Amino acid sequence: MSHTVQRRTFLKGSLAATTAIALPMRAIADDVLKMGVVLPSPEADVGWSHTLMEGVRSVQEAYGDKIEVTVLENIAEGPDADRIANGLVADGNTVLLLGSFGYQNGGIQIAKRRRDISIIHASGFMVEPNFAPFTAKYWQGTYLMGMAAASLTKTKKLGCVGAFAIPELITSINAYMLGAQSVDPEIEMSVVWVNSWFDPASEQEAAKALISQGADVIFSNAQDTPSVIAVAEEAGVYAWNLNSSMKTYAPSKYLGVVGTDWGPHFKRLVDAHVAGDYPGENFWLGMEDDIVFTADWNPDIPADVVAQIEARQAEIKAGTFDVFKGPLTDQSGSVRVADGVTMTDGEILGMDWHVAGVTTPLPS
Amino acid sequence: MSAVEFLLAGTLAAALPLLLAALGEMVVEKTGLLNLGLEGMMAVGAAIAFICVYHTGAHVLGFMAAAIVSAILAMVFAFLVILVKANQVAAGLAIGVLGLGLSALFGKTYESLTISGLPEYGLPLLSHIPLIGPTLLTQDIVVWLAVIGTIALWYVLNKTKLGLIITAVGENAEAARAIGYPVAVIRCAAVAFGGTMCGLAGAYASTVYTPLWADGMIAGRGWIALALVVFGTWQTGRVAFGALLFGILSLGELTAQAIGVAIPSQVLSSLPYLVTILMLVVISRHQFRASKRL
Repeated sequence: MSHTVQRRTFLKGSLAATTAIALPMRAIADDVLKMGVVLPSPEADVGWSHTLMEGVRSVQEAYGDKIEVTVLENIAEGPDADRIANGLVADGNTVLLLGSFGYQNGGIQIAKRRRDISIIHASGFMVEPNFAPFTAKYWQGTYLMGMAAASLTKTKKLGCVGAFAIPELITSINAYMLGAQSVDPEIEMSVVWVNSWFDPASEQEAAKALISQGADVIFSNAQDTPSVIAVAEEAGVYAWNLNSSMKTYAPSKYLGVVGTDWGPHFKRLVDAHVAGDYPGENFWLGMEDDIVFTADWNPDIPADVVAQIEARQAEIKAGTFDVFKGPLTDQSGSVRVADGVTMTDGEILGMDWHVAGVTTPLPS
Repeated sequence: MSAVEFLLAGTLAAALPLLLAALGEMVVEKTGLLNLGLEGMMAVGAAIAFICVYHTGAHVLGFMAAAIVSAILAMVFAFLVILVKANQVAAGLAIGVLGLGLSALFGKTYESLTISGLPEYGLPLLSHIPLIGPTLLTQDIVVWLAVIGTIALWYVLNKTKLGLIITAVGENAEAARAIGYPVAVIRCAAVAFGGTMCGLAGAYASTVYTPLWADGMIAGRGWIALALVVFGTWQTGRVAFGALLFGILSLGELTAQAIGVAIPSQVLSSLPYLVTILMLVVISRHQFRASKRL
């Protein structure tokens, strides 16, 4: 059972909408677990919200009619989101999935006020006994994409369209660069930040600008729409993205996807909530947890590189290979991580510098 | 393709949604009204056009449907403001929010689907000119129609009786009424025209420029168009100049990043807004001084 409400329809007829959502809930008996989901963008066939909902659906499948999920999508980060999350709590939802970093402050307040509520929060850093953030180690996958990109680029120039210059996105770019350099040290990369999570037109123009500068493998970093991928296909250059496959938008030039499967993690947390031992910790999940995976590799990648990628992937899964292991130099050429030293989780989470080879200066 | 070629090729298309919406709103404001609902009317146009083109494959139908539906939405505004005498700001904002909501509702099942855009045509003979021929002078049909339409609008507003009537209604409604012009009808027509233009702007955004539908894809361009009208001092040429300037700067900002210019991207991102406003203010100040000297 699920109710999906658009933010704007929600705002417009708030009275009518609230009644419409609230009424069927009151009729539900107490033994049904009520879960509220707040998403930052509309749930489409692809993208971040889609991936989260896939995870939620696998929980729904496991619980059947013992769970009732209310989904509120396209909720802007900020006071509006806090109000909506509080509304979900007032409606009797005991598990909340807050699908964006910006929902953190409001979520923490709910967690402190209501210890009986368990909150799953995407990509934050604050923790409470009943508030558990989660982040994907995308960089494990983007490193592998870099290896593939290096084998296909003719101009030796890669491109990246990024949303905002925050550590999560920067680590993905750096790992992409390191992966590419592991195959060909001469490769360089340009990055264009569109400073928006959602603006298909700007994303498209950013991709075109990169292509006009000679970039021939484009990384669509944290964009929820397929505009970058579609432009690349049209221009005849390779492109790839995170979260969910966009191969249908670039049938011949799709390089692959670094995907995430949140189902097992969400299921584990909901189980723990039901059992009464919710783990209040920061989950940082990667290939070793079967959360991050790669798929839809382009058949153009040479067989020997595919073998190298597979070997690397196995090493990452086994924990015998670290992407951010020294020596690592930054753009100015100074050594940031000494030879043989591995960056700590904290250092990776706060990474605010680009590795050598990324030509675009990082906005400060 | 060099950065210059990229800018030449892309500017007109990037500016087009802004241009159409701003010109429509300019006519509305010339009759003495203010419709703040551009963003919503563009969004509805974008959604309707996308749905129509997705099912029929005919861009013409998409543009027509978008124009009609956005004009209907604009007529709701006209009804509220002209007949019921509601507050213009509140009514305009309400139309804007309503439009965004409706577009999300209509477009729900079309989220992130794609369609094919329109082919680009070079101008006969001229498209053989080096550099600008294959770039600036090779555009899709809508761009060429918009160029012609902009010139036509300038002609109508500045050289015809209709233009004078529109100005009269805006400058002095009482006088216009006194000499027998149906002020309410003219204003209604202007609002409908504004809605139509927003619908076309949205249709271009979702079926030609970025041929996909995504909720929120107008991304504030309605508000920029609104600002362009004011900074363009209600003159066709200046509003068009403002739209082009904004278009080229927003592409230039991305190009500068791709080249690796050492300016923070946040500064570059705000440049189109700052420079466009500054340029238009400078031009209108210049003209203001010139007119005082007479």
